[in-house]
Amino acid sequence: MEQLGIEPKLLIAQLVNFAIIVFVLQKLLYKPILDMINKRKKEIAEGVSLTEKMRVEEEKFKEKQEKAMAKAREDAMGIIEEAKKQAKEVEKELVADAHTQAAAIITRAKEEAAEVHKTAQAALRKEAVELATMMARRLLTSIMSAKEQHAYIAKRVKDLESWANRV
Amino acid sequence: MLRISLPAETLWTLWGLPISNALLTTWIVMAVLIVCSIVATRKLSMKPGTFQTLAEIVVGGLYDFFGSISGSFIGQFFPLVGSLFLYILLANWIGLLPGVGTVGFWHGEEFIPLFRGAMSDLNTTIALAVVSVLAMQYYGFKNLGHHYAKRYINFKDPILFSVGILEIISDLSKIISFAFRLFGNIFAGEVLLAVMAFLMPFIVPLPFLFMELFVGLIQALVFSMLSAAFFTIAVAHEE
Repeated sequence: MEQLGIEPKLLIAQLVNFAIIVFVLQKLLYKPILDMINKRKKEIAEGVSLTEKMRVEEEKFKEKQEKAMAKAREDAMGIIEEAKKQAKEVEKELVADAHTQAAAIITRAKEEAAEVHKTAQAALRKEAVELATMMARRLLTSIMSAKEQHAYIAKRVKDLESWANRV
Repeated sequence: MLRISLPAETLWTLWGLPISNALLTTWIVMAVLIVCSIVATRKLSMKPGTFQTLAEIVVGGLYDFFGSISGSFIGQFFPLVGSLFLYILLANWIGLLPGVGTVGFWHGEEFIPLFRGAMSDLNTTIALAVVSVLAMQYYGFKNLGHHYAKRYINFKDPILFSVGILEIISDLSKIISFAFRLFGNIFAGEVLLAVMAFLMPFIVPLPFLFMELFVGLIQALVFSMLSAAFFTIAVAHEE
């Protein structure tokens, strides 16, 4: 034992030394460092779980958004269809109205034309009679007696009347 | 002339306790470990500084490493196996520093080095081995209660009784194997370095120095890993 240098007092001293170092390291190093590592791990785990939760919520939100978008698109398409339908109806109404108005204008124009025609006809007849009377008077004055003139004029007036009625 | 001493040299005696150069180095190792622990944990924060990062890498790495051996019992074993590793490693590496074994004084014709590698003294290695084997018994009884005693004393049948006797011998021999493995490796390394330095002081000892750095790490790892494995076997022991 002595040759190997084993000395009970030194051995006990080394045992005490190691016991002290275990105690001190546990208090000063292991516990605080492991607590800190565990705390950080916990925070990281919480962060990861929060991220996962947020990701799930984001997916849900996206799904909702997509649904809302689809619904909005569908509604918009419905509105557009409805507007088109209404526009067609309005167009039809407008066309019908225009047709009605055009027909009324045409009718009125025809009536006005007929009126003008009638007036012109009367004026022409009157003018023709006056002209014929004047010509006949000049002619008859030169070649016929008063009696013959009256008979001839009367006959011509009759002819003119029948002609005017034909025009 | 080169002189190699198997026992650690006594420097002086304090209240009847012989202060050996290995004990002095042990105190330096302890001081370094305590100072490093204080520096590393002085300002703990979620955003670690350099020392805290280093401490987290070392402690976290050791915790995970020994956790892979001890499983769920790591919480119980870690203060001891972690300390065994750090203490042995630092003692081995400090033993390689210049001045250790070379700085000292003359006592008559004899040169007494002031410092000596802590693990090149059998008192240190036996103390650690005793701690390891006693801790094994402590954890065994703590976790298995009186059933743990059946590992050593079992009267159920002659075979189990013989196995119990063998277990006692095996556990006692663990003290010797633990202590002498560590002492032998470190002491042999120191002798090798001393011989190399004596024969060729420059360059040549360097590869051996690096090898001893590696041996120091391996021995620390072997001692602490075996302790962790024995503790785990002790708590998992079932008849």
